[in-house]
Parts: sequence; C-alpha cells; structure tokens
Amino acid sequence: MTGLADRLRDLEEAVGPSNLLTATEAVSQYRLDGQQPLAIATPGTPEEVGAVLRRAADSGLSVLLRGAGRHLHIGAPPGPIGLIVSLARLSRILDFDHENLTITAQAGATLASLQQAAAQRTQMLPLDQPGGDDATIGGIAATNLSGPLRSRYGPPRDLIIGLRVALSDGAVVKMGGKTVKNVAGYELTKLFVGSWGTLGALCEVTVRLTPLPEMKAMLAAALPAERAREAARELLSSRLEVACLTICDTLALGRMRLHLPITADAGTQVLLAGLMGDRAAVERQAADLKRMLPTAALLTGEPSDAAWRAIRECAYPRDAADVVARAGVPLAESAQLLQLAARLQGWWALAQVGDGIVHIGASSGASPDAIVAGLRELRRAAEAVGGYAVIESAPVDLKRSLGVWSASANTDLMRRLKDSYDPRGTLGCGRYLPGL
Amino acid sequence: MPQRSFIVDKKLLRALHKIVGRDNVLTESADVLLYSYDSSTAVGTPEAVVFPGSTEEVAKLVKLCAQRGLPFVPRGAGTNLSGGSVPLRGGLVIALSRLNRVLEVDKPNQVAVVQPGVVNLDFQKMLGSYGLQFCPDPASQKVSTLGGNIAENAGGPHCLKYGVTVNHVLGLTAVLPSGEVRRFGSAVADTPGYDLVGALIGSEGTLGVVTEMVLKLRPLPEDAQIVLAVFETLEASGEAVSRIISAGMLPAALEIMDRQTIAAVEASFPSGLPLDVEAVLLIELDGLKESLDRQAEQCAQICRELKARSVQIGRTQAERDKLWTARKSAFGATARLSPAMLVNDATVPRTKLPEVLRKIQEIERRHGVRIAKVFHAGDGNLHSNILYDRNDPHDFERAEAATAEIFQVCVEAGGTLTGEHGVGAEKVKFMHLLYSPADLEAQRKLKLVFDPQGLANPGKILPEPVGAAEAIR
Repeated sequence: MTGLADRLRDLEEAVGPSNLLTATEAVSQYRLDGQQPLAIATPGTPEEVGAVLRRAADSGLSVLLRGAGRHLHIGAPPGPIGLIVSLARLSRILDFDHENLTITAQAGATLASLQQAAAQRTQMLPLDQPGGDDATIGGIAATNLSGPLRSRYGPPRDLIIGLRVALSDGAVVKMGGKTVKNVAGYELTKLFVGSWGTLGALCEVTVRLTPLPEMKAMLAAALPAERAREAARELLSSRLEVACLTICDTLALGRMRLHLPITADAGTQVLLAGLMGDRAAVERQAADLKRMLPTAALLTGEPSDAAWRAIRECAYPRDAADVVARAGVPLAESAQLLQLAARLQGWWALAQVGDGIVHIGASSGASPDAIVAGLRELRRAAEAVGGYAVIESAPVDLKRSLGVWSASANTDLMRRLKDSYDPRGTLGCGRYLPGL
Repeated sequence: MPQRSFIVDKKLLRALHKIVGRDNVLTESADVLLYSYDSSTAVGTPEAVVFPGSTEEVAKLVKLCAQRGLPFVPRGAGTNLSGGSVPLRGGLVIALSRLNRVLEVDKPNQVAVVQPGVVNLDFQKMLGSYGLQFCPDPASQKVSTLGGNIAENAGGPHCLKYGVTVNHVLGLTAVLPSGEVRRFGSAVADTPGYDLVGALIGSEGTLGVVTEMVLKLRPLPEDAQIVLAVFETLEASGEAVSRIISAGMLPAALEIMDRQTIAAVEASFPSGLPLDVEAVLLIELDGLKESLDRQAEQCAQICRELKARSVQIGRTQAERDKLWTARKSAFGATARLSPAMLVNDATVPRTKLPEVLRKIQEIERRHGVRIAKVFHAGDGNLHSNILYDRNDPHDFERAEAATAEIFQVCVEAGGTLTGEHGVGAEKVKFMHLLYSPADLEAQRKLKLVFDPQGLANPGKILPEPVGAAEAIR
C-alpha cells in the first residue's frame, strides 16, 4: 500500500483539488462518534463518484457516503473513516415528467427543491421522513426512512422506481427506470434502497409523484388508551381513506409542542387522524370521524399543517444526547408498545398504527440505567411479536453496549451480497448490520 | 433443441417417488409434454414433473437437483406469456398446484399467509367476505396463481394507483437452490437488513422456489365508477389520459383498446361497441362516494371536449361489470383472430405513448403485420399483440422483426422491455437494448449469490456474459 499523501493525490486527481478537503480543521467538522475522516471528497458526476470509490477501494480507504447529513446519527459507531464522499454537488433535477408522474434527480438534490418543482404542477413527492425537507433524495433512498404519509403512499422503497448507482469498482449502473411497471430483470432497486450506503452510492433517483391534495385536515381526540386502540382498529378496517393514523401519549404531545384544542389529561392518549384529498372527501370523512369520536377537534389550515409537521418531526433527535428508538411490529401490536412506554414512565411514544412503526424516546433527565433498561425492554417486547427495535439516537457508549440494530435473519446471504457488490468492504464503515 | 433421452434414470425416479409419492410424479412422454410449453414460442421438455405437497418436499426435491446438477423450474399456472415456466434445459418441473391453501387471513393486521398455488381470483373472492383485497389483479387472475404473480412481479390494470405486486408482499418462505428453506421478511415493516423479499419478487423462479408468502391486504374501496368513452382517433384517447392526470385525478385504471382489439372483442363477446372507431378508453375511479361523482363527471367532460363520440358512466356494480367485460375479454378474443399471436408488453413513460403508438403503427405498415393494441394507458404498459400464422415461416419472421423494432422504439422512448409478463425466455436476447454490460453484470451478481450452480430456471432473464454471447453469434 502506498503512503497517505499518494492516496490523497490519487483522489484529488479524480475530483479536482478544489473538491477534496484535507485540512485538519475543516475535516474535523465531519467527526462522527469520535472518528475523524482523512478527507472529504465532493465529486461532481456519477462517473466521478465511481472513480473516487474505485480509487478509495484500491488504496484500502473506507468510505462513508453523505448527503445533507440529516440522518448520520442513525447507525452503529463507525470504524475508522478513510473518506467521506459527499454527494452534495450532485444536486440537479434531471427530468421532471409531470404527465408521467415521475421526477428524476441527482442524489444531492434536497427534498425541498424537488417538492418546489413538483408543486408547480400541483404534484408532490409523498415523502416525509423525520429530519425535514433539507434532507437529500439520495439520503432518503439510502435510509428508506418514512413519516406519517407512509400509511397512504407507502415507504420510499415503494415510491422509488429507478436508480443509477456507482459501485466501488467504479462502474455506474442503471436499475429500474421511470415506469411503475418494469419487470425487465431483477428488482435491484429494492435491494439498494434502504441499504444505508453499504452496497453502492445512489447517484440518481427516480420517484413517483402524486397529485397535491386539494385539502388537508387533522382530527385530534384525547381518549383512554383502550378506546384509542379500538378506534384505530375500527378506522384501519373501515373504507375511509385516512391518510395518517397516529396515536401518541401526552409526553410526546409535549415534546412536539403541539397545542391542540382538546383536553388531554395525563394517562389519556391522543389519536391523530390525518385526512387529505378533495374537499368533498375530506369533509365527509371528518363528519364520519366526528360521529365516531364526538370529543374530537377538527384542525384545518395552518393548525392542521402544524400538526402534520409535528408528527413528522417528533422522532427527530433534539440533540446528540436525545435517546430515540424506532420499533417495527405487526399493526395490531403497536398499541402494546404504547402501553409499555406508559409503564416504563418518563418515556414518550408515538405510533404510526397504520404501519406498525412506533417511535419511543426517553425524556431528558432519565437516568442512564433507566434508559438502558427501557431500551432493552422495548427491544424484547418488539422482538417477541416478530418485530425489531433500532436505536436511532443515543450517546455513543449506549449505542455500543446495546447495539443499534436488532439482530436480523439471513445475514449470511446479505453478507454474500455485500461481498459481491463491494468485495473490498469499502463502503459503510461498519455502521449497518455486522458485516454489511 | 438438443436431442435428449426421455427415459428417466431409475435412481432419479425412485428418489422422486420417495419424496412426493408415486402419484405425484409424471414421466410419461405424453404427460411431460404438457409441461414443455406455454403461450410463448419457447419449448423445452422436462425429465419429470413433480407435484410436492409441502415446503419440506420442495426442499428435498431441490436438494436432489443440487446434488445431481439437475435444472429445476417452478411452475404455477404457466400464464406468464414469456416462456418463464418452460424448462429450456430439461430437468425437473416443480408444479406447485398442490400447495393451494390459504393458511391465514389476519384481519386486524391486514395480512394473509398463503401458499403459491392459490389462484388469484379465488383468493380475492375469499378476501371480499372480510371486506379486504389483495391489490395485484392481473388480467390472468382467473387462472394465474399467487406464486406466479410473485415470480413475475405481476401488474394488471390498477398499478398506477396501487403499485405492482412487490409493493404488496411482506414476507416469503423460499427454498434456495441449495435446498435450504429460508424465511424472508415478516408481517413487520422495514426489518433491518437488505430487502431480500424485494429482490426475490419478479425473479421468475431463478433464485429459488417460493413456497409460502405473507401478503399485505387493504380494505376494499367504498365505491367505484366507470367512465367508458369512444374516440375517433387513438391520439384523442391518449390525450384524454394526459388531461385526466394533469387535472390531478388518479384513477384506479385507465385502459385503451384499439380498433383491431375492439373488432376482436365484438366478434367473440358482443358488448355493443361500435366497430368504426379507433379507440375505446375505460376509466375506473374508486374511493369515497363523495369524490367519485365529481371526478366521473370531470373525466366525462374531458372526453367530450376531445370529441369523444360517446361517453357512458357506470355507477352500479352491474353497469360496471358490463363495461369491464369487453376489456377483460380482449386477450382471449384477440387470440381468436389468427392462428398465433406474438405477445409483448413493452412499457413506456405515459408521456411517450402517443409518439410510440405512431411508431408502432408505422412498424405495422412497413412489415405488413396486424397488431392488436390494448394497453394500460395509466402506467404506459402497452400490449402489442402481433397476429401471425405459425405454419408460415415468413409470417413468423415478420412478426419477430416487428417485435424487435417495437422493443427498440420503446427503449429509445425511455421505457422498458416488459411491464408485467417478465423476461422469461423470449426477451433474453433483447436485454442488451436496455442494459449495458455493467448493468447486466450487477444483476448477475444477485443471481450468483443465490444460485451459484445455475440450476434454478436456467436460460431465463439474463443473457450469457458478453464473451459467451459473442461466441454464439
């Protein structure tokens, strides 16, 4: 292996001197869990990304991919980071085909810029992961994180139908395309979306669009836990088209700083039913919901938008010490996890009951022992019903002792895939499941 | 076709009998011949056809294949239209028709656990009694099986709004080509790790045999309405689709039939469609009653503005069924028009439909072939059914040449070779139109991880690596 200076010169050649950051001071701002990268590369084309990855692989540097850095808190504490490859310069919209209901953009384009483009044709990307619209489309694709819109529109993995990916051997390959139906070859798009930057760098992403709804509203009701659960079950099996169905406790309500025109006493839960569509449909559903839940308040206009935003952002960590976990369970089990949070005391919980995704977090001031015990219990409860718990945000020693990801089946096959697409283990710096 | 002996070696036969029982093995040449083809042009005769009754039996069969280096091909109803279930290199056909039970319908969790041999429509009928549905409903649903739907990543008319099969499957039990049984995914969203369920769906039996699946269900829509509009030109029908989408509506289905297809349908299943028009557009809207009336009227208005000769709205179930009848019988009816039909289902971005249709009409003229066109206009999925006579070699050549040109046109328009039928055996030779050698290499990596011996449905999906393909030419 050649010396560090040679390796860096080699990388500089690939992206140009102005796009390789090596000054210690500048690089130190990219420290992650105590690891400091040697350099930051900012390639300008997918081919340059490929060239950087290949050179990094050739010289044995490990690579962490980065978009806007909105979700870098999620993941195991990394091993040594050789190089951070930022996709921020790849920020162009390549093709907005409104009649085809698709948009193709480079990885570094922010969700905000894409939403803005789509809105000009009264369309939208039904993506709303925690972390706001500054997140990049590449980051959303790599993490497959979702928000309240998921119950209606599905996760990013369902909405992303095409990719161009730079592999660590330098090849830039196409997967999928811009048609919803496409069975020409294997569904590699599904494999690469949600692979957390461990298989390749997603350089271009094609997303399905949907018409911007004429109206949005939010119905909020404070209910005893049992009644909230029943109401959710009823709504899920009804033919109403509730776009988001959330149950949270009063601590989560406080965390969201959401002031609702309802009285939520301690011990009650708050059911939030989001409606979207044409005015007639929203009004009819709101009326049905009011009949079902007479104490509910209907929010429209800005208060409704504020509620949608608050639900979306509830799980986003407030700072590096904020402890937040995400559990996935069968739909009907999400209520159980809310109960668990109540029993643990001092934990807030917010459940997307239409998807079986529950976020739980420790209130500030909780003792380290209580946090460890709580996370252990959460993981045990989720795994007992066939689910999992991911510790999305926590102090690094806690992540290290508990493990960020739940154990997964079939990791041998996943490792073989990893070895096949990234044979020298260049990508990911050990932040995803062991070996990936 | 290489010559091969149809006498199955006795040791193999004994082993098969031991695994599935004597009654569930076919080896007589007249019997296995029935499994040597499908509605594509591909042929290949298996050594034996076996009918396992459990995941364990499938695992034993596949393990036997692995030990003996024998190819195997899983088979559902064989309706894929691309040669996907034809045993090109002989070996074992693993027919999954005995694995035909719905194991569980879990209403609170909106999931069902089923075996692969369950027929799609039978399953839908059963779910209907729970007020639920499984969204994928390919036109073949009367006969096609859920296992086949998964192997092909089946589409159907409702994909614009509801997506394709891969969007509705949570978990799979599969026998890997090594004979090992694995469970992938579960009833839970986003299990950490790579999406192996997604990777297996649409893999056409080339990565293993799916023996059980966990499917995501949805409540049935509250109501539906159909708008049926008759147009003087194909362009006008396409323009109507564009305007409906631009107006912010997302119909459950948008289907167009051309003149040839209308004629075929009326000849076989008369439903009163006029024969002197160029296109019929069927729009299905579903959802809440309150929005449907307005949307149906809006769609009808768009069609009238584009000088539709007539516009009908079907509001009751009976009216809707009647309006759907013509569309649903299109494929069968077209097949009656000529001794044979070369089917393709290239798909293009919806925006490109008018341009692509013009080019296909030109191909039709230039090659002197008849092409009946029926398409899922909402998702750009075009079925250009080329009519030919199998006994006339020139006719077949013309049909093949036209097919190749249609693929070229669709790929140039930013589309893909196949939207729902699969690559199977027929489209392998066209994959290079769509993918670079590096793209194909990335796909081959997936295949090699699951099936290093190359025994699972060999000869499908991927062309031989570049060097080998050159050698064949």
